[in-house]
Amino acid sequence: MTVSAALLFQTEGNAIKTIFAQGPWPGMRLMAVALLSLVLMVADARFQRVDDVRSVLGTMLSPIVWLGHLPEAVGEWSDNAFSSREELLAEIDSLRARLLVLERRSSKYATLAADNRALRHLESAASELDESVLVADVIGVTPDPFSHELIINKGARDNVGEGQAIIDADGLMGQVIEVNQLTSRVLLVSDSSHGVPVKVLRSGVRAVLLGTGRKDTLQLMHVPDTADIREGDLLVSSGLGGRFPRGYPVARVASIESRPGAAFSEIEAEPAAGLNTSDLVLVLFQNESPAPPPTTPGDEATKAGGMEQEAEG
Amino acid sequence: MSLSVISYPVFFVSVVAAMVLSVSLFPVQWLVLRPEWLGLIVFYWTFRAPGRFGVLVAWLLGLMLDVLESSTLGVNAFAMALIAFLVLTTHQRLRMFPLPQQCLMVFLLLGINQMTVHFADQVLGSGTPGFSYLLPALTGALVWPFVCAVLDRLNLKLG
Repeated sequence: MTVSAALLFQTEGNAIKTIFAQGPWPGMRLMAVALLSLVLMVADARFQRVDDVRSVLGTMLSPIVWLGHLPEAVGEWSDNAFSSREELLAEIDSLRARLLVLERRSSKYATLAADNRALRHLESAASELDESVLVADVIGVTPDPFSHELIINKGARDNVGEGQAIIDADGLMGQVIEVNQLTSRVLLVSDSSHGVPVKVLRSGVRAVLLGTGRKDTLQLMHVPDTADIREGDLLVSSGLGGRFPRGYPVARVASIESRPGAAFSEIEAEPAAGLNTSDLVLVLFQNESPAPPPTTPGDEATKAGGMEQEAEG
Repeated sequence: MSLSVISYPVFFVSVVAAMVLSVSLFPVQWLVLRPEWLGLIVFYWTFRAPGRFGVLVAWLLGLMLDVLESSTLGVNAFAMALIAFLVLTTHQRLRMFPLPQQCLMVFLLLGINQMTVHFADQVLGSGTPGFSYLLPALTGALVWPFVCAVLDRLNLKLG
């Protein structure tokens, strides 16, 4: 006590105040704040009623997010700035080659799409909706190591809305769960709270694909032992539930384990999209107007395969 | 030791720095070891100026952390308010402690903070098993002497 008293008297006159004064009743304040927190938690977790508050605060705090991700951005920039001319030329060449391949494919698709539309028209089936896309940059990932989320640089200003699907060149990555003015947050398919309705491309078996909390593993739920699924099968989004568009590759079956006596087999799958690696992603907009279908399932498989090969190079 | 002078710009900068550090992924490999920066900052300011920074300021800062971490609103807010409350009730004893004992208190209070967050996460269904969630409290206690020294010096110089 003597030490602190000596120190206190060295300081200005109001030092006594600063050491004993602590505002009125911290206990009461804690109670009030606890009550408020509880209300917020329930409103947020059960009723999603505070999204506006979150969005406003998120927009206010976006400079901090930007600052937080500055080191990576600087690293990336310096990588770009100091890559040699030969490397850049080589990259341009490879991109040109790839563009050529894709253009040829798209011209082929145009005729296929026309054919398909004509056939669908003959069968008077409902014409499928095409999606338009918006390219977005991944500017950050969530600081919480236990949840799998990305931050992209498109937000309410670019008409991004909650629930929109996010894909990369190889497949479905996730969905938008929160929209700020300039940025949005994307929940990845590998998050333990995420599920996608899928079907096996080869056999058409439907199931729900759940995230596990690990980036490289997804889990196929409630598939009976007798279902026609093999290792290596491609799982594409089935479009059921209306949230995700139909026909985008989501994952590839990695292992199947069936235990005698268990009702369902344990099936693990590897995500098709580069959840850890993709820098550029596409935000899908499901259009209202009818347009040619994106692809038929068969083409989707070849497309996904081709993309994977080219992405390696 | 008590500070009679408090510099609000230093408060502002330290809060922004703590938030940037809790968003930044600079050492990606050591993400689970990252100290609970904002908890440290709340501890420091309620400890040094209990008359001006208290439960409500801590709650607001925690709310911002909730938004930054996109956790359920109110979880970190309450946990931060809890730190502030515990510092307010013990700060007179805390001042008398030698540095190692202070670090122990920092570990305890940050640990309580992390446990509260972990508990709320479990209840809301997004918790993870194991005790690794306590690591930020441990590293926080280890960096406490440096944080405290740097902020003290800044306060004396600019306050």
